[in-house]
Amino acid sequence: MQLILRRSLYAVILLAGLVWVFVSADKTNSATAGRIPAPQKGFLAPEFKLETSDGHLVALTDYRGKAVLVNLWATWCPPCRAEMPTIEKEYQAYQNQGLIVLGVNSTIEDDPTAIAPFVKQNNITFPILLDINGEASNLYELRSLPTSFFIGRDGVIKDVVVGGPMSEALLRTDIEEIIK
Amino acid sequence: MNIFSLFQNIFAPPRDLILIILAAWIGLTLSERRAPRRHVNLDSLSNLLLVGLVSFVVGGRVLYALENLAIFAQSPASIFSLNTALFDQWGGLVVAAIMAFVYGRRIHLPLWLSLDALTPLFATLAIGIAFSHLASGAAFGKETNVPWAIEQWGALRHPTQIYEIVASILTLTLILIQRTTARPGFEFILFVALTSASRLVIEGLRGDSTLIFGGFRAAQIAAWLILLVALIGLDYQQRLDHKKE
Repeated sequence: MQLILRRSLYAVILLAGLVWVFVSADKTNSATAGRIPAPQKGFLAPEFKLETSDGHLVALTDYRGKAVLVNLWATWCPPCRAEMPTIEKEYQAYQNQGLIVLGVNSTIEDDPTAIAPFVKQNNITFPILLDINGEASNLYELRSLPTSFFIGRDGVIKDVVVGGPMSEALLRTDIEEIIK
Repeated sequence: MNIFSLFQNIFAPPRDLILIILAAWIGLTLSERRAPRRHVNLDSLSNLLLVGLVSFVVGGRVLYALENLAIFAQSPASIFSLNTALFDQWGGLVVAAIMAFVYGRRIHLPLWLSLDALTPLFATLAIGIAFSHLASGAAFGKETNVPWAIEQWGALRHPTQIYEIVASILTLTLILIQRTTARPGFEFILFVALTSASRLVIEGLRGDSTLIFGGFRAAQIAAWLILLVALIGLDYQQRLDHKKE
């Protein structure tokens, strides 16, 4: 009797599980699918518009259709400083394939006078944007420096790397993914 | 700032790894207490865990490098990089399981009793992983209007990370209250059954599932199959107990 009861219970559990698999199926593929802007893998990259150190306004929307690496950094942050030359090297290697790198300096928590010398010293050629009011840092819910967002040609974030310095292999793996 | 935001700020990635390390430490302590009661030699079990851990780290990194061979060929030194993203977690787990199995056989550790002794560690790690999901915002829920929904990634969502924490704590509690006279392997199979059942339920409320066959959630199907095998295992064990009585 106990055996029958137990097996019946197990059968009910499995049947209920199977029903739940069908009921909770996402037939419309509506889970996230990049419709909502949020700083998370699988979501649309939040839009921002920032000035470069020479006064040009740059918006993320300007680069829709291109693969974009958004790197949030500061001059006082050792891993940020350490990974900059590697990012520049990969930018040189992949820019012909449509890679854009936007170095967003978290100016709200940085010394603005230290930015230009650092950029010059490291021969950085990609645009450095100044997040003076913390607009981009807030939109991207910045909690650790550096943080990098790899954005595909469709504007959807494909990977988020928190912390650094990023190695060449990590950069290339993610860049290869977004330039597809 | 609510307690949820405060927790997320304190344990934002990569600091969320602290939660997993803390869980591993507590789990190891629980497993060490459990081992003598399951007649498993503590030193042998510690050596087994060390072999598993080293195999996980090395295996996960080597497999990742092999999967991205062209990239690593250009910068071979990256294989020693401290970037945790350069890692195949599932591959590392498979390598660790194989190496631990082979080593366990070599030192004559009883398989099912060892798995029982290690079950509190597995169950506590599951709690740590659930907390790390809450901290990082990973494994998030789908949009909902339920009163207990949380604001996350631009929408009100099911707090699936909290469901995961509650389910994993309940699983650990049920494991810890089991009689230690149970048949070898019972605690481990029970853990597998409970964990797969909770994943089956919670996955249906998630917003980041991998979808297959026109909308079915891959992890749910895998969880259902694992649950099926675990229930067959439990039934087999209980039948043996019944015959013995």
